[in-house]
Amino acid sequence: MTIQYWRIRDRYYRLIGSKCQNCGDEFFPPVYRCRGCGSEKIKDKEMPKTGKILTYTQLHEPLPGFEAQAPYYLAVVRLSNGARVLSQVVDSPAEKVRTGAKVSATVRRVRVDGDSGQIVYGYKFVVS
Amino acid sequence: MAKSKAYVSSVGFTRVGDHWERSILDLAVEASRKALAGTRVRPQLIVVGNMFSSVGSGQEHLGAMLASALGLSGVAAYKVEAACSSGATAFNVAFNLVRSHAVDSALVVGVEKMRDLEPEEVSQALSMAESAEYTQFVGATFASLNGLLARYYMEKEGVTRDELSAIPVLDHLNAVSAEHAQFRKAISPEVVGRSSMVADPLRLFDCAPVGDGAAAALVVGDGGASRTKKGLMEVMGAKVSTAEFSMYERDDMLDFRATRAAFEGAVKDSGVPRKKIDALEIHDAFSVVGALSLEAMGFSKRGMGAKDAKAGKFSRGSEIPINTFGGLKARGHPVGATGMYQIAEAYMQLTDSAGKNQVEGAEHVLTQNVGGVDTTSAVHVFGRAA
Ligand SMILES: [Zn+2]
Repeated sequence: MTIQYWRIRDRYYRLIGSKCQNCGDEFFPPVYRCRGCGSEKIKDKEMPKTGKILTYTQLHEPLPGFEAQAPYYLAVVRLSNGARVLSQVVDSPAEKVRTGAKVSATVRRVRVDGDSGQIVYGYKFVVS
Repeated sequence: MAKSKAYVSSVGFTRVGDHWERSILDLAVEASRKALAGTRVRPQLIVVGNMFSSVGSGQEHLGAMLASALGLSGVAAYKVEAACSSGATAFNVAFNLVRSHAVDSALVVGVEKMRDLEPEEVSQALSMAESAEYTQFVGATFASLNGLLARYYMEKEGVTRDELSAIPVLDHLNAVSAEHAQFRKAISPEVVGRSSMVADPLRLFDCAPVGDGAAAALVVGDGGASRTKKGLMEVMGAKVSTAEFSMYERDDMLDFRATRAAFEGAVKDSGVPRKKIDALEIHDAFSVVGALSLEAMGFSKRGMGAKDAKAGKFSRGSEIPINTFGGLKARGHPVGATGMYQIAEAYMQLTDSAGKNQVEGAEHVLTQNVGGVDTTSAVHVFGRAA
């Protein structure tokens, strides 16, 4: 986990995804090939930090490492550039976590790695 | 590839559920021995379908291990992995090798040992079906992805809680008389709707249970078919397809494109008109997945899968019954074994050995086995041997 996390930490801190150099479509997570036009001319691109909730759930049975946060919200967020991100939604009153709610990205502690004790940071969204 | 006929000449399986006292190899051997009992066929190939023996039992190299245990050392043997669709995908490999004459016969065994793990370890293991870096990283379990999908489905299509509960209720009713099923107790929609919350709106009874199991089938070509005395089921058509890896990356999350393509390909391959399919074994790992699978295969119109189930369209005695032994929800879902349980159940239907669960006059049965949130789908069409 530690090396895997280190390798792509920029993607987690700054939402670095992909932009197709042919048609301009943008994606997160990054892609090897444009899902729109099929081009392999892809470059890294920082994603916009605002979007809307497409769908959400409140998870009561967490993954190992996330027990202290349960229950927590997860959402599919459609960013303002059309890219879709799967993320936690935090620090938001329950009645505001709804389909269509406007959200913005923030960097938070994701969890503490069980083996190394390393604190892992990454993106989460907040209802704005 | 020159195609010829291929058959399932026998099946074997364990009960699904807790097998505390038995190892993954014990289960695979039991199912294999039952499938091989009374046959003079010595399989030339063993294909094992399994998702996470490395995590569940600290064991890999299942193909050679099983061959050795069965006294079949020397044959080709390997494992096929495609998450929860490992079982039917393993079968697909064996079927294609038999019908293309690469081998005369093959033993396919789907096996999973889940109950040696703690519940949260099972959750971690299942989440390997999705991206470690962008799904597990944010704390999303496999169930939570299906929770996201279920809310989207209910809000977009106006599906109610009771409608979503219809497939789990149907499954439990069908499992009452299924001896190998994990849960053999009928339930009401109220029981589903009041069960504990897992990933809102999905509750415990929307989700297939955790269990151990193994199911096996002997696949033979024309030559092998003449050497077996047991009932024969013809494998008429097959197709495996994949979709964009994660559900949330798809433009239309409610369109199960892997299942749609696998269904259309398998039906075309079989030459059996859709109207002549008499029963379905569908992959209802979650209630919403069952509903969307029925829609993708065209047995329900868009948005109508759960509503049709509520109206009785897929119940026993209807025109197109589903999950005749309880499906994933009640027969159980030992993930890498599930696709092979479905195929074993199709075999029982088409050889008139389904007992109280027999679909009268069934001539063709279709099975659909999914890995991930419809990321891989393996569909097979079976018929009575002529
Ligand atoms: Zn493009």
